Amino acid sequence: MNKQTKILAGVLIAVVLLSAGVLAWRKLNPEPARIAKISQKGQVLQEIDLTQVKEPYSFVIEGEDGALNTVQVEPGRICISEASCPDQICVHQGWISDGSEPIVCLPNQVIIQITGGGSQVDAAAG
Amino acid sequence: MTQRPVNGARRLTRLALLTAIALTIFMVEAQIPVAVPIPGVKLGLANIVTVYTVFALGAGDALLVLLCRVFLGAVFSGQMMTLLYSLGGGLLCWLAMVGLKQMLTVRQIWLCSPLAAICHNLGQLLVAAGVMKTWAVLAYLPYLVIAGAGAGLFTGLCAQFLMQRLDRLGLGRKEENHGTKGH
Repeated sequence: MNKQTKILAGVLIAVVLLSAGVLAWRKLNPEPARIAKISQKGQVLQEIDLTQVKEPYSFVIEGEDGALNTVQVEPGRICISEASCPDQICVHQGWISDGSEPIVCLPNQVIIQITGGGSQVDAAAG
Repeated sequence: MTQRPVNGARRLTRLALLTAIALTIFMVEAQIPVAVPIPGVKLGLANIVTVYTVFALGAGDALLVLLCRVFLGAVFSGQMMTLLYSLGGGLLCWLAMVGLKQMLTVRQIWLCSPLAAICHNLGQLLVAAGVMKTWAVLAYLPYLVIAGAGAGLFTGLCAQFLMQRLDRLGLGRKEENHGTKGH
């Protein structure tokens, strides 16, 4: 192992550890769930205050070329229950109830993000 | 370390073959559902070919193989949306690998590959941020860094073993690359 190898290996390990640290920190300090912001191609379609939801309901977001995402809303949580995209990653992600990860459907360009309501630059996005 | 291109037909055949292999791996892998529900996480086995090509045939040839594979992959899988993501990731990954190649030898492919894979995922996220017009997707960055490091290590080791075997067979870079670093 020469010096450059060691430096680069160090960089790799540092980056991975840093990421793990950020994830752990985010798990330990979840943002309280408030408002789910549903956007498509950067345009906000709906903002739902999850604390105000009493009855479960669902609705469909339509995109280009017949792209469909069914959004399901329950008190305190939200998910995409059906999608027309091939990979179904957004569906498999299931319910989200805090701001740690948004639900993203890349093919249909839909994103659901839960925010605390106040200033909303994500700590991770800096 | 500039490669003298071997004569045209031979180079074309070799690059076409590599592209076909990469595309096949890409399409087969696309059929396997990913267990992790995070966009962009996958093994990226097709990149074994990219890594191999960068180290065995050089940066230019690798770029050609990469671009052909990404384009054909998007056409065959019927998702033109993925073209953008793959291009963003692929190009950044290629740049990183070409840069790292100056510092590392063939023996350190296992290290080059995870670093490049992280760049690949970063590139993909940046494209996603551009397409979605929001920085919120960067919340996935830590996951993608870890996933990229793991997947990159795997593909890098595969490429490294591949290289050793092909060298032993006398089919690898040696016939074109007398006197490069490494062995």
